[in-house]
Amino acid sequence: MIFLARRLAFYFAAFFLAITFNFLIPRLMPGDPSDRIIASFQGRLNESQVAAIRQSYGLEGSLWEQYLTYVGSVFRLDFGISTVQFPEPTASLLFYGATWTLVLVGLAIALAFTIGSIMGIHAAWNRGGFFDSFFTPINVMMNAFTPAIVALVLFYAFSLQLRWFPLGRAHDPNLMAAFNFQFIGSVLYHATLPVLSIFLVSFGGWHLGMRNVMINLLNDDFVILARAKGLSDNRVKYRYVARNAILPQITSLALSVGYMLGGALVTEQVFNYPGLGKFTFTAIGSRDYSFIQGQLLLLTTAVLVANLLSDIANVILDPRLRKG
Amino acid sequence: MTEITQSSSYSLTDRLDAAAIASAAPSQAQLMKELHVKRRPGWTSRLPPGLAAFATNPKGMTGVVILLALILFSIFGPMLSDYNPNRRAGGPHVMPSQEHVLGTTRMGKDVFTQLAYGGRISLTVGFGAGLTAALIGLAIGISAGYFGGRVDDILTFFVNVVLVLPGLPLIIVIATMVETASPWVIGAVLAATGWGWSARTIRTQTLSLRTREFVLSAELMGEKKWRIILVEIFPNMLSFFMSGLVLGTIAAILAEAALEFIGLGDPNAITWGTMLFWAQNNLALQSNAWWEIWPPCIAIMLTGAALVMVNFSVDEITNPQLRASRKIGLIRKFLSSRGRSADVF
Amino acid sequence: MSSDRALIEVRNLTVDYVGEHSVARAVNGIDFDIREGEAFGLAGESGCGKSTVAFALARLTRLPGLVSGGQVRLHGEDVLKFDKARLKAYRWNEVSFVFQSAMNALNPVIPVSEQIMDVIETHEPQLGKDGARKRAVELFELVGIPPKRLDDFPHQFSGGMRQRICIAIALALQPKLIIMDEPTTALDVVVQRDIIEQIVELKNRLGFSVLFITHDLGLMIEFCDRIGVMYSGELVEVAPAEAILTDPQHPYTRALGNSFPPLTGPRVRLEGIAGTPPDIRDLPQGCRFSPRCPHAMEVCRTDAPELRFYPEHRSQAACHLLN
Repeated sequence: MIFLARRLAFYFAAFFLAITFNFLIPRLMPGDPSDRIIASFQGRLNESQVAAIRQSYGLEGSLWEQYLTYVGSVFRLDFGISTVQFPEPTASLLFYGATWTLVLVGLAIALAFTIGSIMGIHAAWNRGGFFDSFFTPINVMMNAFTPAIVALVLFYAFSLQLRWFPLGRAHDPNLMAAFNFQFIGSVLYHATLPVLSIFLVSFGGWHLGMRNVMINLLNDDFVILARAKGLSDNRVKYRYVARNAILPQITSLALSVGYMLGGALVTEQVFNYPGLGKFTFTAIGSRDYSFIQGQLLLLTTAVLVANLLSDIANVILDPRLRKG
Repeated sequence: MTEITQSSSYSLTDRLDAAAIASAAPSQAQLMKELHVKRRPGWTSRLPPGLAAFATNPKGMTGVVILLALILFSIFGPMLSDYNPNRRAGGPHVMPSQEHVLGTTRMGKDVFTQLAYGGRISLTVGFGAGLTAALIGLAIGISAGYFGGRVDDILTFFVNVVLVLPGLPLIIVIATMVETASPWVIGAVLAATGWGWSARTIRTQTLSLRTREFVLSAELMGEKKWRIILVEIFPNMLSFFMSGLVLGTIAAILAEAALEFIGLGDPNAITWGTMLFWAQNNLALQSNAWWEIWPPCIAIMLTGAALVMVNFSVDEITNPQLRASRKIGLIRKFLSSRGRSADVF
Repeated sequence: MSSDRALIEVRNLTVDYVGEHSVARAVNGIDFDIREGEAFGLAGESGCGKSTVAFALARLTRLPGLVSGGQVRLHGEDVLKFDKARLKAYRWNEVSFVFQSAMNALNPVIPVSEQIMDVIETHEPQLGKDGARKRAVELFELVGIPPKRLDDFPHQFSGGMRQRICIAIALALQPKLIIMDEPTTALDVVVQRDIIEQIVELKNRLGFSVLFITHDLGLMIEFCDRIGVMYSGELVEVAPAEAILTDPQHPYTRALGNSFPPLTGPRVRLEGIAGTPPDIRDLPQGCRFSPRCPHAMEVCRTDAPELRFYPEHRSQAACHLLN
């Protein structure tokens, strides 16, 4: 429990650091966002209009007052008004996009982690064999093919050339969101290629990670003892080796969520998928700062929650963390 | 050797039965031949052991050759071309031909020339950011591990923060704020956010080295701390540093490409990432101009693949267990050809 | 209490380490027997190959190690040729193992009960879960740990208790031979004593043989019937335990004995052994000990001596000085 309490304290500190980052970055840059908006009106604004704009960006008052206002608005989930989809509040856009991004990233992580780990277990157990010497390097190399490229290849081949998959959207626009077979089917159909691209560039990492941790464990005394006891191969492999190798993998899994979310941003752009990435892309184009800052906070929170979950999983799976 | 000498002693080997004699091991020279163990090539004898191991590792050397080819292409490629990468060199979307080896973009710029110039910047930014991140990781990791106590607590806190902050979204925020993010700005941000993993690994390694005899004895002899770090600890971190460098470079090259691809970079800079950005924006795929989009893709993929191979070999050099598995097939063959069970671990 | 019948005969056993650019012969064609009910010790400096021999006996040689030749015979059957089914029966039914570090020998994330019961359930499935648990309780009592702690995790026990649990696991199927690789090195002296006394008591009661490996020569002489001394991958002397100190034949055995203080008797000056063992990838010509041997002769630097039996000393030794 002490372990979890300490981790929780750390996540709060990290969260505040992210908020502070978000607050400071625009104020440290030469010229703040409101200057650009004001400049774009080419002097047609009067003084009170200028003040109103600066007010809406939280740029009035001392730095400390501004900070308190900012922190307050974050906790009220008030990220301001979107300039792209005026007058939609940024928060509702963020959450709409986040839902779809979560569908993509959730599916991709689950698939990549499961399949990658199983392949890693297999490769480590038969290390030096055909599967290991052939697929381990290839799978890991795919990790180094940036999501942008893999997404482009898949989009080109299956959406443009073969026309097996749609050219965009998260589901058939004629369907109403509902918990039925037809709607979920349509969601999965639209998500297939984006999920596949994120999957392809990430499962190799789990493969290699699991393999290397397993190979090191194979040399540990308790694994040798398990073999010396004449236990069946499967029991040694899963109960003694994989069972222990999974612990560091869970920690890495949580840390990788940030990277996976980054991959999703790019993938959504290629597949024209209405997730956070797609919105961020538009926000970048029109310099919608409130949205760009909001996505950082939202994604940071997602990573922190993932880390907390992995800590809880570790406490459940590793009795050594439970003492005290 | 078996002549009976004066005393009443007798040789035990005389008592070995036929089965025991028949089971004798082959000589070491024969064993090396059967297991394809080759002597270290003579030319590597003057290299330090780590480097020699790297130079004889097939995966690592393949990676190095590919990287060298890419670097040479970026250095000398532009000299082979008469075109200016920023200027119109022909009609829009000209197919690859004698005049335009890799065709032209929709703006009529020569793809081959852009690819070579782009390589200069993309590779420099990638390796620069990777190297800087690895150096920061090394400095922070060693300090945290070696000094321990309060210093460790504070540094570890920052390492953990850098690890949990999602890299790409953070860079997006910074990059949008600086108006036009030149490749150099992107590289600097990547270096500043990409050192978490390597700091963490190096800290763990330093912690385990810290209590080893040679470090303790240097301390007892009153060596200065910075000397101990440089002379005693750093050489042992070289392989972890290398690994951090390679992984950091992969991450930086991929992240730079991704950032520029989604339009955060300076669209007038010529890099592999902006080439992808323009190709995507100009609907190169939709208009079947494959030559505009595939060359930068392949260049990035090749760089990534080559670095992964180098990383494989660094892993094998630092971890004897990974190295050992390469001979497993031959060892199995050796055992089963002698009627012995071949369950090798 | 030990009979003269050999339980395990090791013949010509050779183990190599397969490196990237070289093959290192860690054990070079050694011969010895372990008799029924006997405690046989293997002594020598670290890196001399004694653990490598132990692992080869248990069929646990790991990469990059390779048992490249020789035989390990259990009542005449070659263990190195066992197929999967026979090997499974050999493991733990006939030979069990106690490791140096009890800290690492138990899986830290599964309860101890499971680690005792799984071996019983694997080899004696007819007992069922309840039978296996009953046996586990008995084993805990046998080594003096309260059975109510059966479901605890390894980190909840002290070092000494963990080693007792390892011994309990080793006894689970009443094997004929228990290999103990430095079983007490990681423990403090008082606990060490307790554990050794317990092993002696159990050995007398249950009658198994022991292959005992330690660098603590005093402990070994006290516990073992016979001792083999290894140097750089070869056996240089095999003798009854008491003869190792009182009547050593090989100069290396003598040096090894001199570097350990006797617990009783007059104080003597301790003589360590000058120099270090050779790198097994780069061995000297002739006798491997000759560069460090105070009595080395011309012949020692050219011809390797072989292990011969000297009935008047009841010991086997490999040294030119004896001829």
